[in-house]
Amino acid sequence: MKQTVSLAPFASPFAGHVEMSKFRKFLPPFLLLSPSIVLLLTFVHIPAIHTIYLSFFSTPKGRRPSKFKGLENYQDMIADPVFWKVLGNNVIYAITTIPASIIIALIMAQLVNSALPGRPFLRFSFFLPVVLPLIAVGNIWLFFYLPGFGLIDQIGSLFGLPNTNILGSSETVLWGIVGVSIWKESGFYMIFFLAALQGIPRDLKEAAYIEGASNWQIFRRITLPLITPTILFISVIATINAFIRIEHLFSMTQGGPNYNSALLLYYLYENAFVFWDTAYAIAQSVFLIVLLSIIGIGQIFLMDRRVHYQ
Amino acid sequence: MTGNLKNVNVIGAWLLGFLWLLPLLYAIWAAIHPIEYQVRFDIFAPLTFFNFKNAWAQAPFAQYMLNTLIYVTLTTSSQFVVCALAAFAFARFEFPLKNVLFGLVLIQLLIHPEVVLIENYKTIRFLGLMDTIPAISLPYIASAFGIFVLRQTFKTVPKALDDAALIDGANTLQILRHVYIPLSLPTFVAYGLVSISYHWNNYLWPLIVTNSDESRVLNVGLAVFSMEEAGVEWATISAATLMVTAPLITAFLIFQRQFIESFSTTGIK
Amino acid sequence: MSAISIKKLNKFYDSNHVIRDASIEIESNSFTVLVGPSGCGKSTILRMIAGLEDVDSGTISIDGNVVNSLHPKERGIAMVFQSYALYPHMTVFDNIGFGLRLEGQRKHEIEAGVSEAARILKIEDLLDRKPRQLSGGQRQRVAIGRAITRKPKVFLFDEPLSNLDAALRVQMRVELAKLHDQLDATMLYVTHDQTEAMTMADKIIVLDKGEVSQAGAPLELYNSPKNSFVASFIGSPTMNFLKARAVAVTKGSVTIKLLDDLELKIANGDTAVSVDDELTLGVRPENLSLVQAPKAHCTGKVSVVEQLGSQTFLYLETADGPLILEADGSTKIKVGDLAPISFDVKRCHLFNKHHQKI
Repeated sequence: MKQTVSLAPFASPFAGHVEMSKFRKFLPPFLLLSPSIVLLLTFVHIPAIHTIYLSFFSTPKGRRPSKFKGLENYQDMIADPVFWKVLGNNVIYAITTIPASIIIALIMAQLVNSALPGRPFLRFSFFLPVVLPLIAVGNIWLFFYLPGFGLIDQIGSLFGLPNTNILGSSETVLWGIVGVSIWKESGFYMIFFLAALQGIPRDLKEAAYIEGASNWQIFRRITLPLITPTILFISVIATINAFIRIEHLFSMTQGGPNYNSALLLYYLYENAFVFWDTAYAIAQSVFLIVLLSIIGIGQIFLMDRRVHYQ
Repeated sequence: MTGNLKNVNVIGAWLLGFLWLLPLLYAIWAAIHPIEYQVRFDIFAPLTFFNFKNAWAQAPFAQYMLNTLIYVTLTTSSQFVVCALAAFAFARFEFPLKNVLFGLVLIQLLIHPEVVLIENYKTIRFLGLMDTIPAISLPYIASAFGIFVLRQTFKTVPKALDDAALIDGANTLQILRHVYIPLSLPTFVAYGLVSISYHWNNYLWPLIVTNSDESRVLNVGLAVFSMEEAGVEWATISAATLMVTAPLITAFLIFQRQFIESFSTTGIK
Repeated sequence: MSAISIKKLNKFYDSNHVIRDASIEIESNSFTVLVGPSGCGKSTILRMIAGLEDVDSGTISIDGNVVNSLHPKERGIAMVFQSYALYPHMTVFDNIGFGLRLEGQRKHEIEAGVSEAARILKIEDLLDRKPRQLSGGQRQRVAIGRAITRKPKVFLFDEPLSNLDAALRVQMRVELAKLHDQLDATMLYVTHDQTEAMTMADKIIVLDKGEVSQAGAPLELYNSPKNSFVASFIGSPTMNFLKARAVAVTKGSVTIKLLDDLELKIANGDTAVSVDDELTLGVRPENLSLVQAPKAHCTGKVSVVEQLGSQTFLYLETADGPLILEADGSTKIKVGDLAPISFDVKRCHLFNKHHQKI
């Protein structure tokens, strides 16, 4: 705009040309963007808005069209004890898997970054679960946990311990799932720590070493402060993953027994595509949209910062 | 570091490494031995290929594999094209509403496909694409993440190269094709690896939009196969699981470094 | 006919008026140099000619056709960039042949074009290499080769030698001059280095803050600068400037008085000067000389002696201000000596308070 104003005294003989060239200048970027914009509107923006809109209506059934229900779907959600149970599961799942996998990932990264023999083996072994599909991971662990036959009971029986039924018992099933998640995710977080550790100037550690700092002091006073942004970044990704990576439930527990291992997205899937109570599932979608957007805003902020670091 | 402490570290590290492989090793053991050796760990137990043959015979894994290859190739190559075009616009053009549009793109990082799958399911049904491979791909093609990382890379290309190419007679698409894309190949490789493994591992969406063997991908096929009420043998399920993951494990063995670097530079699965 | 004719060109970056009513004529087959300090707009003009920047107002014609809205490839130009802008992922062959490839030429035509350029520039043995395997001078040749294959009416050079070391720069200057003779093409060359401008140009255009300050042959600018900007920009070491006041004006001469009351009678064709006007006296180092004390206009204390062999530059403190004087290479004068100085009044320049030559 500014440019057009300052041009006024000169523009008159070429006014048409200036307009033409503006059009010619702005057309290419819009053409380049158009496929992305159309796809994003179709599969992200409009569905998200429509989801919020539909959450105020009932599920259409047969000839009965959907009708406005106000906040009823949300009231149903609040009144649903299973929803609270599942939400509680998800919170426990998040606050156990995230710190555990971050600490293990940090240990893994320290090991892989050190001068230990067999580092390629360690790196391979730690990262391998990351490339495996969660469904397959679920199968592998199901076998691992199998009462009587699974490796856990096999080892337990060597010490005379009774057989377990980790996935069959309401008390332990969630921990069984937590274990799988830690196994799957730690290696993924390890690589971020690895990159961060390799970014720490060697002379910083050497200087501290010469001053007589112990390994623990070096870690506590130098390494840890320098990798704090990485820990933050990983925490955000891990929190999102705790809510949307639920495929292992399909192959391991189907949320059971008695919803003791169900997570939010799994419950949503069940409501939408097993019980076909779409309206209720949509209210839960809105809940997830809001929750994940709040976490995601933090993620974008950190992603931008990360890029500036590099 | 004293020698003893170092030895403790080495033993601890190797133990952790072994522990991490254990679930997979256990599945491999079950898959390559006859059923009676499933829980008898005898070094001299006879090896067998029977479990794999059995799994292969019980479900159309070849079809699933082909579907998965088509789905992954279609998705990743479409992402390359669509995201490169958009990233180029954001990296090298000035136009009205640029920041607003970029914000709209980044919103996709907040609205994960998982949370709008009910609506997307309706859209796919409306488009008449139910139970087809393009239906699995479509919601992922415009990837905010892809646009973001490619834009970052494109911004590092010296502007003088645009000028030189313009004078050499290149149009916008030719500049993208002959200058920007070749210079950003490492990013395409990294993004491609991340995208391929994401889609190879994708389950929930393919489960919802496919319902026949003609369009099912490996993951869904594997889940259907192992959840059958008939009670499939564990050894068979293990064998099937290994077959499904074998291409990924092989690829990872060969391209270990690229995989790890890709995941760490692009930052998201 | 002019190869390039620019009329009343203007360019704005937001509210900054970076090119102001610039009008330039560039003759066919000339080697014209656009020179000026950084930020004067010289590269902007070059990029507008190339079609890399939009024209806000005014016209640019190449070979008689207005090219304002043409794509760069339609303008019949080729450009060599300061950073060379070679495509890092292509071999030298592909770099040079890229334009031909985009034109859709056949393989053997591309090969012919590339090998001709390579022969002219003597880089036949580098064709399989990537730019990163080349030295600065070799990259420079490849960049020129890329321009040659386009067979342009006009070559545009944007500070092409500034990334080379001093020795190579001198060598490349000679080669560019040869290339100009060999190709018989119009060349427009942008630089901030007045030595490059003086040594290479048929015609120099001096730019100052987006305006054309003066255009002409190198010696014309050197000997008769139209203003103090051109006078100070052209020539090294730079021209000496001293504050002065007009004390007497006659037809054909002006008598001025310097700070220490020294009076000089300067030949001058213009009479638009009146007594008591504040003026600036400009005199080049070689128009000052060391003389025997009686003939001296004034004396100066030597503060620095710069011996270049063939000549010696003396930095002097005088009552009229600091002066640089060019003396013989054999002079025995030392720091701290008092030097008697004489002005060559036939080669002195006077500038008014608007910095214009009078």
